[in-house]
Amino acid sequence: MKAKITFGIWEAIMMLLNTICVPLLLGFPRLMIETGGTAGWIIPIYITVLAVLFFTVIQRLYRNFEGKDIIDIAEIALGRIGRIVTGILLMLYIVFLVTITLREFTEDMKVIALINSPISFVMMFFIAAMVFGCYFGIEPLVRFSSVIVPIIALGFLFIVFGVAGNYDINHLFPILGNGPRAIFIDGFFLVSYFSPLVLLYLIAPFVRTHKIMKITGYTTILLSSIFFTLGTLCYLLVYPYPISIENFLPIYQLARVMEYGRFFQRIESVFVLIWAASAMSMLSIGFYFVVYIFRKTFELDYRRPMIWSFIIIIFTLSLFPPNLMTVLELDKMYYSKVTWIISLCYPILILLIARLRSRNPEKEAKTR
Amino acid sequence: MKRISAAVLLTVFTVLLLTGCYDGREVDDLAYVAAIGLDKGVTNKLKLTLVFAVPSATGGSSENGGGSGEKTSSILTLETPSIMAGLSLANNVVSRQVSIAHAKVIVFSSELAREGISNYINAFNRLRELKPTINMAVARGSAEEYLKSIKPSMESSVTKYFELIYRTYKYTGFTANTSYFKFYKYAKSTFIQPVATLAGITKNESSADFATESSIVRRNSGFPLEGEFKAGEIPRAGDIKADIMGLAVFSGDRMVGELDGEDTAYYLMLRGEFFQSTITHVDPINKDNVVLLLIKQSRNPVHRVELSGGKPVISSKISLEGDIQTIQSEINYESPELLAILEKSVEDFIRKGMEELLQKTAEEYNTDIIGYGAVAKRKFATWQQWLDFDWHKRYPMAEFHVEVDLKIRRPGLLIRTMPIISSKKGSV
Repeated sequence: MKAKITFGIWEAIMMLLNTICVPLLLGFPRLMIETGGTAGWIIPIYITVLAVLFFTVIQRLYRNFEGKDIIDIAEIALGRIGRIVTGILLMLYIVFLVTITLREFTEDMKVIALINSPISFVMMFFIAAMVFGCYFGIEPLVRFSSVIVPIIALGFLFIVFGVAGNYDINHLFPILGNGPRAIFIDGFFLVSYFSPLVLLYLIAPFVRTHKIMKITGYTTILLSSIFFTLGTLCYLLVYPYPISIENFLPIYQLARVMEYGRFFQRIESVFVLIWAASAMSMLSIGFYFVVYIFRKTFELDYRRPMIWSFIIIIFTLSLFPPNLMTVLELDKMYYSKVTWIISLCYPILILLIARLRSRNPEKEAKTR
Repeated sequence: MKRISAAVLLTVFTVLLLTGCYDGREVDDLAYVAAIGLDKGVTNKLKLTLVFAVPSATGGSSENGGGSGEKTSSILTLETPSIMAGLSLANNVVSRQVSIAHAKVIVFSSELAREGISNYINAFNRLRELKPTINMAVARGSAEEYLKSIKPSMESSVTKYFELIYRTYKYTGFTANTSYFKFYKYAKSTFIQPVATLAGITKNESSADFATESSIVRRNSGFPLEGEFKAGEIPRAGDIKADIMGLAVFSGDRMVGELDGEDTAYYLMLRGEFFQSTITHVDPINKDNVVLLLIKQSRNPVHRVELSGGKPVISSKISLEGDIQTIQSEINYESPELLAILEKSVEDFIRKGMEELLQKTAEEYNTDIIGYGAVAKRKFATWQQWLDFDWHKRYPMAEFHVEVDLKIRRPGLLIRTMPIISSKKGSV
């Protein structure tokens, strides 16, 4: 399939970077430290190595399918059924991701800034961004990401380096934290944090060549890793284990302790700004892909009429969890531990089958 | 046309959302708390004292350059089962909505602090409004009385008074940065314990009330040095009744002791948080006189912890530098030979002081406020091994070795001191 819309490496990287790194502004550093203790900062490095390994396998298998997205490849591999199953699976994953993130951001916004506003009212801010984003399509979304993500990154760096006066290197000891088993066995499942990389296999037609896709993937993983490691490390340097696992919004807590003299105080407002921008960008992109996958899976002609149906579904689903604690638990139990199967293992399986079937032209022809 | 309509619609929609109809709070409708005092209650669990900044007085200024002459603060004391309940009750007393967003200090009474303050520090940590950099203090006596005694005479704002007075450690070395953030993380730490600023009220109405019995002489100086006081003990009189001096030492959430100003300076040096302070030192040659030095920390302290048979052997190296401010005896300490004598004498003085402080924290208070545990835990590979070692139980057995390296760099504006000539006795 040849897509009319195309975008460059920068746009693709920024879009993926924001989507992957959103948990960093939520509970990512805390979850790393919960798993690894004082060695929590090692886990982002470890899962980066794993993500690179997974991606290397995927991009090598992808070589023969330049310009095709994972749904197209699923069709090559398993026919119409394969396309539908893959589409539904990916859609469910992104719906889960968007729903959880939407609720989490909304709840956090209520805790931090809009304490008296009803949750549905606060959610409307994000919903509006999602609807507008999806309505205008992928191109404005990635262009917006390419502008806003560097600003978000600067804001993030401003916070993590702004608290440098509170760093204490001793917080990183004992160096192995909760032990090698916790880091390397329990930490393995946390590779799920790279699962939004699956969007790269969906934008393959937009980035055109396999080379661009490869560069985009590796650069995104590397940049995400830098931000993940930096965020966890700086948080741990300021908040020692075990009190570092108390805070449900680690980077916000960092921003709260920042103070420069009597004049620069309450700098956490910077956090709220970058946080809301990051959330709106990520949720809009996520929502766009929900609708995009559905349209593509069921070969529908139009995307826009489906926006309202899907936004109502996501709005309703995100209000299902009874409280913030349940949302955090869902995040911890499923998003951060299970999604790697769908986004990193499943594509390998599909690509392998597709590759095997591609070698047999008769079968491929039949499938087509 | 469609795009323009969409843009207009988006703008109108955003403007409507940004009005903040639910969470909008006018600054003018809020009562800003500058300080929070906590005492044991008589009719209830807690006696909560709130010092409110009076905005009209804060904004004004007189021709004399000082405050407008109006009351800059208003105090409310009430008894309550908890802090939040107290803040809620306070809303029924003051017309404006109570806000602790700009509170500068939380003061606990020493009685409450000795019983344990975990209930309160945990509660504060959940409050979004409260800034983690707020100061923590323990009043020697009642927190309510301490807060009532504060009448800022140089500030037009009580908030500014608290902000400035709790930063004086940067140039006195007699208190420390005891933010709530630090207190909270140290109280729950496995390798360091917290401290809070010690606050007090003077009992002297006038200089006639000064009594030698209340003065403490720790060293062989024959007179109390400036650091040998705790809050409320400084021999002084005047319209300012409240002061801060020294530190309250905690073991977890319980106060277990007090440090005077001098010990506090040593605490800061050992922590690497000492900015500068003037110290009075008995002249090593002419014992009737003193030498005044402006001391600064030149390098971060270097700590080593050896665990021989489970017993911590702790060594610290403190690097300081100083400038001569006064030489009363007129002895030429500026000369290299005499300078070495002065340096050695001050080094010994500070080293002894530090060793006494460390012994006191280990043997008397059983609490590691310096944070040697942070160095000790480097020797362990995993967290479980460190927990099993149980640092807080081992610290009281610790053996201390302190090395102080002082370099006097500058002699002030003089390079030698010539004697004063008297017509009666000749040179003095």
